[in-house]
Amino acid sequence: MTSMTPAAAAARSTLYPKLSDAEFAPCADGSIAAGFGADDSAQATRCGLMDLTPLTRTGFRGAQAAAHLAASGFPLAEQPNQASVTGGGELVLRLSQREFWVLGSLQDMGERITGLVAAACPDSGCYPLFCQDSHGWFTLTGDAGSAVMAKLCAVDMRDEFFPPLSIAQTSVARINAIVVKHSINGVPAFSLLFDSGYVSYMWDVLLDAMQEFGGAAVGCSALR
Amino acid sequence: MKIINCPLNGPRNASEFVYGGEVKQMPDPAACSDREWAEYVFYHYNGTGEVREWWLHAPSGYWFIVERHRVTGEISRTYDPSELDQGEFFASVPGAAEEINS
Amino acid sequence: MSGEQRLAAPMGLLIERDQPVSFSFEGRHYRGYKGDTIASALIGNGQWLMSRSFKYHRPRSALTMAGQDANTLVQLASDPNVLADRTPIAEALRVEGQNYAGTLENDRDAILGKFGRFMPVGFYYRAFYKPKGIWDWWEKIIRKKAGLGTVDLTATAGYHDKEFLHHDVVVVGSGPAGLQAALTAADGGASVLLVEENTLLGGSLTYSRFESTGVHADAVRSELVSQVEQHANIRVMTEAVCNAWFTDNWLPVIKGNRLYKVRAKECIIASGSYEQHVVFRNNDLPGVMMCSAADRLMKLYAVSPGKRAVILTGNDEGYLTALNLADQGTEVAAVIDMRAQPQSQSLADAVSQRGIRILHNSTVYEALPTAGNLHVRGVDVRTISGQGKVAPQSEIIDCDLLCMSAGFMPAYQLLCQAGAQLSYDDDKARFELTRLPQHLLIAGSVNGVYSLDAVMNDGKRAALNALQSLGLGQAQTLPEVHCEQQVNFNWPIFKHPQSKEFVDFDEDLQIKDIVNATRVGYRDVQLVKRFSTVGMGPSQGRHSALPTARLVANATDRTVSETGVTTARPPFVAEKLAVIAGRSFDPYRQSAMHHRHVALGAKMIPAGSWQRPAFYGAQERRLECIAAEADAVRNNVAVIDVSTLGGIELRGPDAAEMMNRIYTFGFLKQPVGRTRYAVLTNEQGVVVDDGVSCRFADDCFYVTATTTGVDGVYRNMTRWNAMWRLNVDITNVTSAFAAVNLAGPNSRKVLEKLTELDVSAAGFPYLACREGEIKTPLGNIPARLLRVGFVGELGYEIHVPSRYGEALWDIIMEAGAEFGIRPFGVETQRLLRLEKGHIIVSQDTDGMSHPGELSLDWAINRKKPFYVGCRSVDIVMAAEQTRKLVGFTLPAALMKSGSKPEEGHLVLRGADISGNITSCEYSPALDAIIGLAYVGTDQAENGSQFRVRVSGGREVEATVTALPFYDPDNQRQEM
Repeated sequence: MTSMTPAAAAARSTLYPKLSDAEFAPCADGSIAAGFGADDSAQATRCGLMDLTPLTRTGFRGAQAAAHLAASGFPLAEQPNQASVTGGGELVLRLSQREFWVLGSLQDMGERITGLVAAACPDSGCYPLFCQDSHGWFTLTGDAGSAVMAKLCAVDMRDEFFPPLSIAQTSVARINAIVVKHSINGVPAFSLLFDSGYVSYMWDVLLDAMQEFGGAAVGCSALR
Repeated sequence: MKIINCPLNGPRNASEFVYGGEVKQMPDPAACSDREWAEYVFYHYNGTGEVREWWLHAPSGYWFIVERHRVTGEISRTYDPSELDQGEFFASVPGAAEEINS
Repeated sequence: MSGEQRLAAPMGLLIERDQPVSFSFEGRHYRGYKGDTIASALIGNGQWLMSRSFKYHRPRSALTMAGQDANTLVQLASDPNVLADRTPIAEALRVEGQNYAGTLENDRDAILGKFGRFMPVGFYYRAFYKPKGIWDWWEKIIRKKAGLGTVDLTATAGYHDKEFLHHDVVVVGSGPAGLQAALTAADGGASVLLVEENTLLGGSLTYSRFESTGVHADAVRSELVSQVEQHANIRVMTEAVCNAWFTDNWLPVIKGNRLYKVRAKECIIASGSYEQHVVFRNNDLPGVMMCSAADRLMKLYAVSPGKRAVILTGNDEGYLTALNLADQGTEVAAVIDMRAQPQSQSLADAVSQRGIRILHNSTVYEALPTAGNLHVRGVDVRTISGQGKVAPQSEIIDCDLLCMSAGFMPAYQLLCQAGAQLSYDDDKARFELTRLPQHLLIAGSVNGVYSLDAVMNDGKRAALNALQSLGLGQAQTLPEVHCEQQVNFNWPIFKHPQSKEFVDFDEDLQIKDIVNATRVGYRDVQLVKRFSTVGMGPSQGRHSALPTARLVANATDRTVSETGVTTARPPFVAEKLAVIAGRSFDPYRQSAMHHRHVALGAKMIPAGSWQRPAFYGAQERRLECIAAEADAVRNNVAVIDVSTLGGIELRGPDAAEMMNRIYTFGFLKQPVGRTRYAVLTNEQGVVVDDGVSCRFADDCFYVTATTTGVDGVYRNMTRWNAMWRLNVDITNVTSAFAAVNLAGPNSRKVLEKLTELDVSAAGFPYLACREGEIKTPLGNIPARLLRVGFVGELGYEIHVPSRYGEALWDIIMEAGAEFGIRPFGVETQRLLRLEKGHIIVSQDTDGMSHPGELSLDWAINRKKPFYVGCRSVDIVMAAEQTRKLVGFTLPAALMKSGSKPEEGHLVLRGADISGNITSCEYSPALDAIIGLAYVGTDQAENGSQFRVRVSGGREVEATVTALPFYDPDNQRQEM
């Protein structure tokens, strides 16, 4: 993986000045915090936090959104607030009957869905969403995830009540957020998507909540 | 804290929701009297019994209807607004009209 | 002193005798054992005196040994008002007394007790309010005398936080009812949280004897506790207090520095009951305590409470305590039973068999003090001759311990918070809690059952009900549990001519204080509380509520049920604000350019949830910075981050129709590539937001909204469309775009360098909008450009996807460098827009402002059939107008005299108020004070004058001035 400085690209996660310890790698038209050190993998398995804001994602809403995604070969969950996962590791979030978000995979750094982002939408009834820019994306990794979330969110996120691929649109540390439970190479993970203006706030809040579980920032390559 | 059962997101703490006022039928603003309009805008029933209200689930931006008892606060039903006929909202349903001065 | 004279095991459940602990109290050193509380260790050392009472500074000591009274409040180094009977000792812990002058042993303020008759009930309200102002003088003295403890002002905040928990069943209280309920619920498959205030599970099983042999309770306890602790479905939380009940079983449970927000599907309150005191003279002396307090001292801490005891009781509990004391070597001089006979004759026989004298129909009329009221030395015993009356013949019995039990009151607080009704059967002296909400259950002595078997059955019954409600278990239920055991004596109140029969120990209230409150007209127990302060102290009426209800009922010829108790409100026990605050979630938003502002020395201020630069430079150079920034906009080029501006995207065939119904202007024929001012009124016709509508395609509008208004506007739109059902997608894109306003006569020259778009006056005229790209060496950035005139100069808003925001800022600063571009902040922008007479919705508007008052008639399309608020706007604008928002000017010289009007200052008409100032600034461009104000319609004519009352009550004359103040022909913004 080549490294780069975030300021060397026009697209940047607002968070990068806070991640001065990280090594950055190219991602989409910007850069992403790829690693924080040799311990990243063990840290991520225990309790880690990734800033995946630069990773490609998109969304569609409207009466034709489901048809558009299905035609593009994405599996869709039957019910709102359920996610599905593609063979390449993309997550497809069904947020309502007519709204879907597609989150790029770490396996190919979001490469596979750039086509979906660029492709034309049906003439009406399918509107691309702005979630690449309107939302920040953090992923909380490791076994302590549910316990960390219990300090920030009133929804019960233990596995029995919130199995993998469940979605909650809820309030996390007083911020509206979409929380989806999934896994990265077998390590349990919660991805949080929230108003991008709050990335700095949310980063600090999460790290603080993770403290009692020995949590720390990790790079997106930690669970490769 | 009260729990409200959102038709889209399930039971959640009331703090996730925003109140959007009572479901009221708007009189035809072009045809009604000043009095009728003022009653619609300013006068609210303050008695007992069931009330239909607008509530927003803020994290998902989803509006829905709550049927709630005014005395006990007990919620008997929540549902999507599409279940209500448009006539419940308007005495005369607004239609696209010619704009004369633009 | 040593603390080694302890009772032998099995007394001392909580202490570890092989781990001595040294601590100090009032500068003297004491030893106790690990597991001791401050109070148990002190009493173990013979140190009874722990505090001085609030009002009369009477010596006080342990009353309940359970943290239920204020008698043991002590001071730790950085913690005032700590309960000594709840707080464990620790090595080298320093403990001090509170609320005394001189020493705790010899408190000079104890003389206040002698002046009791000059400090009648309602004293504060009656004595200090005449003449006017006298309270200010008195307050300082009273605060000093009446304050409890000292706050450590140097204390630093500890780490407190919160956690959410979810359980099928939460059981509050781990007495026999709670333990049994938890077990039954867990056996049925429910996930159970058991919350216990104390360190040990078992509640009354840990100290009470329950029956004469005194062996059964221990066996029951160890059996139940070991089952509970081993049960996979039960989470046990000790030293945790459930401090409130909120709707739908939302329970704040505090343990240590963490507040658990617990949601229970079913909640079982097994909170037990509070032993009640007998009201007689000197019932507050050290050495006078509840029977259960003596039991706790012995059983939990192996501390002998006295050498020679007298028991005063109105139930059989006192007999059990007599047996406990006798077993542990205390001589029991007498059991004084207020009743004619005990309920259990076998228990009485067991007591008699120990040679203990039992007196019936008798009471302690007065406790006799040692010098300085430091301890009880004996009791004056009389025969009860009627309700609250005693015979003249007295018998003095020497003792150093008086244990009392007038009865038990249910720990009703959480239940009453849930809306339960507490009623009292005057004949049976029995409480009942009814009208519980669904999914809230009650078990044990709080439910009026007392015998051990009945209590455990009741716990089981409640748990089975909970299981049934959860759809778990065998759907088996038990009938209501009845218990014949009576625990309350109906009138344990004995007035003494010399008073000091305390109803409320916290507030030093005596019988006459309560009765007098009713005599001055307060019949309602709520009013009696507020007038007399009864129940307002730290113990929150745990002991005073019942005697107060009895006294008020008697004085007003009603029953206790009719009188009732005062409202129980959260919190149940005192809680630290730090626990409530927890880790504070104080969300803030930062734009993509935030770090650049910080690097440029911006003074950041909040704008809604956003952090925005107010201006760039040091606070002490504020006006200078703002003037320089304004000058750059007016005469050169400057840039402001406007990312926080709201943005809403409307797409679809009905997008124009949606705009047309929401905003006051006409939008159906808005040309693509043009912007239009958009005013939003609510249904009352009040202006609630404004913005700029950009049409980028027939079916695509991008409309801006105010920073703080956008969420409301978006919600409004989506709610209306849930009714209108137009074919339009509405998206709040506020955070998706970062934006700047590049403004000033040289702005075009800067922009030309950055885009291929034709930005000439003809190619990109005023009020046009374009989509294009901003060129940067790192790649081109897609952008939306708007020609706007908010600050009144040639200017362009540039909106880009937020990931490119910082790069946009960088390239603009770089391209503008040759012109000397500078950034400007919100405060500068406010000045510039004021010079142009532009309103800021919510600063220059209020909850009444309609478009006519704001001279926005031009922004209303009166020919379209509908927009939200149209009918109200028509009505209010047709009505007679009362006020108008106008521009005004004042000479700049007023700046020096500090007479510049401020927002909110009043506009006068004669002696009346006719309006107010909404904005006012010194304008360097005009060298005048300018502003906007609501004035009466008769004061609104250009050139006329109106008076403004400014700070210090002075008045200045302002001149109504046509808007805009600056560049009246708007030539500069249209260049």
